[in-house]
Amino acid sequence: MAHERTDLMQGTLELLILNTLARESMHGYGIVQRIHEAAEELLKVEDGSLYPALYRMEERGWIKSEWGLSENNRRAKFYRLTSTGKRKLEAERANWSRISKAITKVLQAT
Amino acid sequence: MRIALPNLLVHPNRKKTAFEVEEELQFHIEMLERTYAQQGMSDARAKAAALQRFGNLERFKKQCVDIRRRNSLFRRVLKISSILIALTGLAIQTLSSDYRVARIGGTLIMIAVSGRLLLYVRGLSPWSFLPRTNRTFLTDTPDVGARLRDS
Repeated sequence: MAHERTDLMQGTLELLILNTLARESMHGYGIVQRIHEAAEELLKVEDGSLYPALYRMEERGWIKSEWGLSENNRRAKFYRLTSTGKRKLEAERANWSRISKAITKVLQAT
Repeated sequence: MRIALPNLLVHPNRKKTAFEVEEELQFHIEMLERTYAQQGMSDARAKAAALQRFGNLERFKKQCVDIRRRNSLFRRVLKISSILIALTGLAIQTLSSDYRVARIGGTLIMIAVSGRLLLYVRGLSPWSFLPRTNRTFLTDTPDVGARLRDS
């Protein structure tokens, strides 16, 4: 069955990345795969758009990167959440919850 | 000498950054290719599908290098130096009773403010004052997309 794929809302990619990295450190490809799996391929995410987001998040101190070896012994850059990133994730989760509740209420009211 | 000095200042970090970004993005594309090949696609189709799914490689590569550059050690040192120069200028201007010495303070503040403005204005990074021949770091790096398309 073909699913309709939805564009990601502005700013939500960062939340998805933070959430994915909350479990374990991962390389960029792993992050995108995890997001696609969790969203059951319903979200339209260009894989490459992940990287500018990762670099911006690292610049802000939410994540940290280091080179390591991938599952197939290739050199890959792994990202992990910092303590600032963990706090940001909690704040963003709460924010997302508020926004989605508010939008649902508006949609139900009209 | 005109070329050697800018090379010394610019190339090591910028080239390293560009190569690292390239390596990271290339890894991603190769992993996609492997996945598609395992799903039964031919090598050529797997490459094409990987590039399509990745999106505009050159644009993402440039964005990543720009973000990394924005936060480079050299730029941070320049920012901190401009703050220190401004504070020194302010202290001289405030504490000095001699008009000529106070003017030195004012000049220092002007230099610091101008430096900060130049750092903030997009496209007017310190690198933009260097000869253009030395700013080809993105074209120096191997083009993954072109390589994959050509092969």
